[in-house]
Amino acid sequence: MRRRRLVEFNLLTGVVLGIVGFYVGWWLGHLVKAPSLDYFDDTGQNDIALFVAYFTGVVGFLVGLGFANYPVQRMLGKPPSLREKETEGIGRYFGLCTDHKVVGIQYLIGIGAFIFIGGLNAMLIRFELLRPTHLAWNGNNYLTLVGLHGTMMMGMMTSGILGPFANYFVPLMIGARRMAFPRIEALTFWLLMAAGTILMTALAFGGFPTGWTGYAPLSVQANMGMDAYIAFFALVGLSMTLLGLNMLATVITMRAPGLAWGRLPIFVWGTVSTSVLMLLAAPVLISTLFMLALDRTAQTGFFNDQAGGSPYLYENLFWIFGHPEVYILALPGMGIVLELLPVFSRKPLWGYRLAVTGLLGITLLSFLVWQHHLFVSGINADLRPFYMLSTELISLPTGFIFVCALGTLWAGRIRLTVPMLFALAWVFNFLIGGLSGVFLSDVPSDVTTHGSFFSMAHFHYTIMGGLVFAFFGAVYYWLPKMTGFELDERLGKLHFWVMFLAFNSTFGPLLVIGFLGMPRRVVTYAGYLQGANEWVSVSAFVLGASMLVFVANLVWSQVFARVPAGANPWGSKSIEFQLPSPVPVHDFDRIPTFGPDPYPYGGIEEAGFDGTRPAVSPARPTP
Amino acid sequence: MWSRRGHGWRIAALTTIGTAIVLPLVVFVLGPNMPPGKGTPVATSQVTDNTVLLVVMTPFTVFILVYLGYALTAFRAKPGEEGLDGAPLRGHFRSQVAWLASTTAAVLFLAIFGTTELLADNGAGGGAGPNPVTKPGGAPLPVQVIGQQWEFTYRYPTYGGVETATLVLPVGRKIAFHVTSLDAIHSFWAYELGVKADANPGVDNIAYVETKKISTFHVRCAELCGLWHGYMSDTGHVVSDADFASWIAARKRQFAPVMKYLPKYSSSYNPDPTFRAG
Amino acid sequence: MTEFAHPATDYGVVEEEPPALLERNLLIGSRLWASSLVFFFFAFLFAYFYLRSLNQHGLFQPKGVSPPQAWGAVVAVCLAASAVLLSWGAVDQRSERRGLWRLKGVGALALALVAVVAQVVAWSTLGFGPTDGGYASVYLGWTGLYTIFVVGSLYWLETCLALSFRYRDEPFGRAEVEPGDASGDDYREAPDIRNAVHLNTAELAALTFTWTTMAVIGVVTWVVLYLA
Ligand code: HEM
Ligand SMILES: [Cu+2]
Ligand SMILES: [Cu+2]
Repeated sequence: MRRRRLVEFNLLTGVVLGIVGFYVGWWLGHLVKAPSLDYFDDTGQNDIALFVAYFTGVVGFLVGLGFANYPVQRMLGKPPSLREKETEGIGRYFGLCTDHKVVGIQYLIGIGAFIFIGGLNAMLIRFELLRPTHLAWNGNNYLTLVGLHGTMMMGMMTSGILGPFANYFVPLMIGARRMAFPRIEALTFWLLMAAGTILMTALAFGGFPTGWTGYAPLSVQANMGMDAYIAFFALVGLSMTLLGLNMLATVITMRAPGLAWGRLPIFVWGTVSTSVLMLLAAPVLISTLFMLALDRTAQTGFFNDQAGGSPYLYENLFWIFGHPEVYILALPGMGIVLELLPVFSRKPLWGYRLAVTGLLGITLLSFLVWQHHLFVSGINADLRPFYMLSTELISLPTGFIFVCALGTLWAGRIRLTVPMLFALAWVFNFLIGGLSGVFLSDVPSDVTTHGSFFSMAHFHYTIMGGLVFAFFGAVYYWLPKMTGFELDERLGKLHFWVMFLAFNSTFGPLLVIGFLGMPRRVVTYAGYLQGANEWVSVSAFVLGASMLVFVANLVWSQVFARVPAGANPWGSKSIEFQLPSPVPVHDFDRIPTFGPDPYPYGGIEEAGFDGTRPAVSPARPTP
Repeated sequence: MWSRRGHGWRIAALTTIGTAIVLPLVVFVLGPNMPPGKGTPVATSQVTDNTVLLVVMTPFTVFILVYLGYALTAFRAKPGEEGLDGAPLRGHFRSQVAWLASTTAAVLFLAIFGTTELLADNGAGGGAGPNPVTKPGGAPLPVQVIGQQWEFTYRYPTYGGVETATLVLPVGRKIAFHVTSLDAIHSFWAYELGVKADANPGVDNIAYVETKKISTFHVRCAELCGLWHGYMSDTGHVVSDADFASWIAARKRQFAPVMKYLPKYSSSYNPDPTFRAG
Repeated sequence: MTEFAHPATDYGVVEEEPPALLERNLLIGSRLWASSLVFFFFAFLFAYFYLRSLNQHGLFQPKGVSPPQAWGAVVAVCLAASAVLLSWGAVDQRSERRGLWRLKGVGALALALVAVVAQVVAWSTLGFGPTDGGYASVYLGWTGLYTIFVVGSLYWLETCLALSFRYRDEPFGRAEVEPGDASGDDYREAPDIRNAVHLNTAELAALTFTWTTMAVIGVVTWVVLYLA
């Protein structure tokens, strides 16, 4: 017997209240007056109004989604509860839903859409670079495209694997029915959606010129589009902090009986180490952006050399966050790859402890290297040997991951399925990413490569070639589990090969172009680089087209063909594959007990969790 | 089936052979073509540096690629083996230790090597802040590089602080670039000289280089500085002493009438802070 | 008190999770959140010492820029006292003296509100503005963000108090949660937490930890911004 509400809270009410909130805030913000703020009126650049509008807009959006109901109840003294009341059926996906599986799928689609937009921006950038001189976009639009692309990608991909896959599978893998804080889990997703929308509004306010790094004082001078960047990244930071917190709390407190730390699947370890970085690094970002917002509105001088501040402060703080951030983008990929290789080599993970040590070692070291982004900036130049050493030391734990990946292949029975292909491509791409990183970590070499297309290609090898390939590996591996329908294998292979070849033919030459002296973020370049740039652009378009193959596969196999996947299409011994596909609403009837071995391949029967599958009674409805 | 021991030997042999083939190519073919070319002693040692990095990476890269290729041929599931698992191996202590030892050795070598290069070359052409730890002997010619939206200008304090829009340097001289900015952060990148130093407002970022031959070189801004960042490029010249003397004398004459409007030469300048631009 | 170890829990039924689980969630969650909090303000600590050591153009703290000492002390003392009172109250709650805890809880809330008001007064009587150098910037940014967090934590304190007041007559009684209401899904027949009011103790323990961390950060803020 549910009490019916007058108005249902869902995405529609969220959007309506979000828009209303935005305009109310816009109006309220214009009421703020002070002599030092006169130029807001003179120039029409009222940053205060925009910040207030974003804030009230986000609040309206969340209220409309129903996020305020529970907190208000609690203020009135109602007892705590875990979950929000949920409807059944497809409506669950269009609103506040506290089922970790629904949130996972929401993430997959929501983030996927924004990443697609980010990818389109990349196409537009590469279009401009077909010619060494001006072709399609003027300087401002070009920089806005670069900034939108980089910021969108860096913001959304941080949750690109934890959002969909950790939310969905970590509770299953540790034998829990929910995340520690299901409402916070839902909140992280909707915050990201609000953030992505806000970033797109930068276009309406003149774009922003700073790229994803937002260096002051350029970001202090910049026009109002910059506020969209700040609001976006602050919301992303908040979402990340809460996501990390929730994941860690879940893994620490909700492991099923028998599941000691040393028995966790390696993907859970990847999630844990990423979450630590999110929990600790994202707050620094939020505080830094808070300072930047104050510089832009209240006229403080944090980053203003003329007012007792320093642009160096921004660079330092940004990279104290920023370097952990890049590992937030690397660790989940490692977790996925090490999770997939055993399944398709039919072997236990080789060197489990070494792999865990590697993940944790990277986590720790990534807080100690931030000034390697500032080797030629003149900051603490005498500390450069230290940062060079600490940076190069990270290659040791990273090497652990590699050797574990290679060892797992040893004497296996390798099956080159689509997920496996993506996992293997990760090994290749990340190798190149790592090798190019060695140049950047060496100060004399970095004098040339810093700020060039070389560094741009380097981080695309690690993020696109690493994280995004791992992401697709995970999609092909787990999507049948999430939806119950197989993905088409032939289209999958086509997607893989086009993507793999086009990716390398895009970013491989970019390493060379950078070596030859082309800086990043420039709309013009030296004429002799035109041929190479044309090659890269065409490859990038093919790379973009490979995404269309994927979308076609998704639509075809999930909407039209709908071949049931069965419970365990890959013969995986991981627990989630012992459950029906799709996983029933309440996950397990009976919480499983885990045995000593997360990877019981090779005919060791007594290992694994108890029995072969946790009981799930068919009597319960599975929407 | 081949024995597992056999696999190990074959991979080792292939790695050795591969390395033996690739290493000479790296040293003799790739190495000399590494950036940024041999325009100055600093640039030359950057080329050396890049070559050394390549050499250190080569065996690891060859090993991983050989291993991958080998594993994907030898360890593929054969038809009929679909249901079967591989051997339940969980690690191999000695190979893990060997891996750890070799990567550690490589990393420590790289760190020590990089540090010595950095110190020996007085900052290796990179911006070393206002008080570089190591300075070249003799008296380098100071040249101030001022980044501003959106061009570089150059001041020669030893020539009355004259400010020009083109960079001209005498050949065979040690130069100390003093890089600073009037607004956003720029980065002074003189590619062929092997110099890159960020231009920060209020900071005197020093980079040393020694010119070696008469040539031209490219200057680009390497830090995003706003609207016309993409157009912020320039050509510099290394010229003979005599040409330099006459060039600078001409500039002094040319700019004499406007010198009094320039701020006095200083290590950094205070621009109008309220300036706002896209 | 709750244990942090991982005893095998009985999850035999889909409904009615044992409250021990959410208790552990809350306790660990509060510790994690506290570590986040430290990093939020680490950024300001870094900014303070960084700008102070650079002192660009001697503008870090020009003459005349000094914080309102009296108000600063009021803020710090109130926060510290509030945290002490709350921890004390948590002890009462654990030993079932719930009336006493409510008293102390209200006291802690009031003290913290005084701290917030004092901070607002401090802002309005500052002898300097945001444009007056590095110190002024750090002061405003740090205290500003900090106050936002204090207000947020106060919300949490308020919910604990509200629950405690509402169920003051029911000794750890069963809250009247409608079947299927909290459990999320319509077809479930029982609330998702067995005995939800029981959680009050755990929630209070979690809150105390967070609030103490906040107070410690507040005192550090005071030492750095007012005394250093
Ligand atoms: C379709 C694949 C992609 C292509 C063709 C592509 C291409 C580009 C290009 C052309 C730039 C600008 C270079 C410049 O002018 O400086 C760029 C920048 C960037 N990309 Fe991508 N990219 C792709 C995917 C990704 C992904 C998946 C990520 C991360 C998840 C990513 C992260 C970034 C970042 C952070 C920047 C730097 C933006 C800045 O300079 O501030 N890209 N990319
Ligand atoms: Cu980094
Ligand atoms: Cu520039």
